[in-house]
Amino acid sequence: MDLITQLFPWITNGPLITVQVMSGLSVGMFLFLVSVGMSLIFGVTRIVNLAHGSFYMVGAYLMVSLVEVLPDRPWAFWVALLVAPLGVAALGGVIEVGLLRLIYLRDPLMQLILTFGLILVISTLVLLAWGPDNKSVSRPEALAGSVSIVGQPFPSYYLLVLGLAPVVAVALWLIFYRTRWGMLIRAATVDREMLGALGVNVALLYTQVFVFGSWLAGLGGALAAPTVAVALGMDGDVLTTAFVVVVIGGLGSFAGTFISALLVGLLQSFGILIFPAVSIVLLFAIMAVVLIVRPWGLLGRPEA
Amino acid sequence: MLGARGLVVLLAVLALAPLVLPPFFLQLLTEIAIIGLFATSFNLLMGYGGMVSFGHAAYFALGAYAAALLVRKGGVPMLLALPVAPLVAAVGALAFGFFIVRLSHTYFAMLSLAFGQIVYTVIFKWKALTGGDDGLLDVWPPSYLKSPAAYYYFALAVVGLALWALAAIVDSPFGYALKAVRENPRRARYIGVNVRRHQLLAFVISGLFSGLAGGLFAFYNGSVFPDFAYFTKSFEPLVVALLGGVQAFGGPLVGAFAFKVLEWLISRQWPVYWPLFLGSVVILVIVVLPQGFVGLFGRRPWARSAGSS
Repeated sequence: MDLITQLFPWITNGPLITVQVMSGLSVGMFLFLVSVGMSLIFGVTRIVNLAHGSFYMVGAYLMVSLVEVLPDRPWAFWVALLVAPLGVAALGGVIEVGLLRLIYLRDPLMQLILTFGLILVISTLVLLAWGPDNKSVSRPEALAGSVSIVGQPFPSYYLLVLGLAPVVAVALWLIFYRTRWGMLIRAATVDREMLGALGVNVALLYTQVFVFGSWLAGLGGALAAPTVAVALGMDGDVLTTAFVVVVIGGLGSFAGTFISALLVGLLQSFGILIFPAVSIVLLFAIMAVVLIVRPWGLLGRPEA
Repeated sequence: MLGARGLVVLLAVLALAPLVLPPFFLQLLTEIAIIGLFATSFNLLMGYGGMVSFGHAAYFALGAYAAALLVRKGGVPMLLALPVAPLVAAVGALAFGFFIVRLSHTYFAMLSLAFGQIVYTVIFKWKALTGGDDGLLDVWPPSYLKSPAAYYYFALAVVGLALWALAAIVDSPFGYALKAVRENPRRARYIGVNVRRHQLLAFVISGLFSGLAGGLFAFYNGSVFPDFAYFTKSFEPLVVALLGGVQAFGGPLVGAFAFKVLEWLISRQWPVYWPLFLGSVVILVIVVLPQGFVGLFGRRPWARSAGSS
């Protein structure tokens, strides 16, 4: 026990651990918002959308512009938060109808390479539209400060994320398991051809799912904008982490993505305390182990 | 189509280039040769083995860093450091490939990407050894190889030998067995081919030559950076092979030529637009030319093996 307290002096510090858990959970919630869209898109269309991080980046940049353009009132932030993801959803729709729809029957690796091409195109367009300098979005006044949790300061903006992501998760669950549209999505993840044979307009479903997944990525980016420097390169960072979350949870699994997002969030939060140097390596190492032992992820289904 | 013999003729023509070309173009050709080797070794996996790695930059970077570290920290002369580059990369490819070849298709690509990112993060984070984000500078070849023409000849000779070895491997019984594994892994197993061992060996050979390309690039560039291992770098050999054609041995070399010349032409005028251009070309090739660029990319090798493992 002495050795443990010596190695990890924070282990007896209850309040610190509490705050660490909370910040880990809020990171996890962010990750969930971004990853679940990627997982959803894969589940239905079987496309691993590498441009998902780019959608997230566009969401954050749209947030920057909207907050700038809208009058300087308290409601401006919330309007921007509502509109920015819709812009990303529209972008997703254009890409799905204009490009992805043409290659659904092609080799999955060709689809992967195409979405990689999208990363390059979108990052250049963002550079041209917004310039190379980092941008920032100020937090809404009501959430600008920090609250005291068991004596430790905790940024109140993260409370918004901690509250909003579970609402989105519950809403998604209700959509997936309590609506006809959700039933179609779940059916599509199991057997697309059968769904088409039963008279469902699968092409339309694909578009809807891609737009919805893009909207989620945009929401994640818009929510994250006030917490990070909005910069070129955030696409790659988010993509790799979201990718890890989706793979660990199981490609196409909703519950798996939720659990794995929280796990990865906590791991990042505590990894920094325990192994500051290797926390990111640890993340990829866990992903590698999951791929080796259970390639289909914690809660995914093995490939038929 | 460029066979192994056409390659030799091409190399002879290239040997005369320094007599007419200014230094800048020699450097461009040196880079084309190095990237061509990288893409050809990548294509041993994709074109001949039907395995698409999304983390091949890792082996390129392992080679580059092994060579750079030996020269900078160990004081080893370049001619001794360079042969170590492919060996270190091959060891890395063996360790990672052991797990990667157990998976197929999308999962193969994803695990190779995961290992690639591990290599990237280790290089990026291990500041004491690798210099982290700042990279390792001042990794120049000795004075007798420092001029563009001298290093051009040196790189050309090394790349030529490596390509000759790769061509021999492709033409060997091993190469044919590898193609059989690509076409139909199950049938290959029935006739007694050890599928995994062939795939792993191909992976290690590919990593070895990628590491050699990385080592050559380190001395060409005079410095190494963590970006060498980043996942976007892993798409370079893929795009190059795709542009040139994965069915012919010389395809990736043609692709490297087209890729680097286009990059030079466009980056010179509008550096900002290069990724936009590259991304658009990749998308166009995939969407508009399903049968591939210049007819070389005729038959997608992995399509036949889809669904079985």
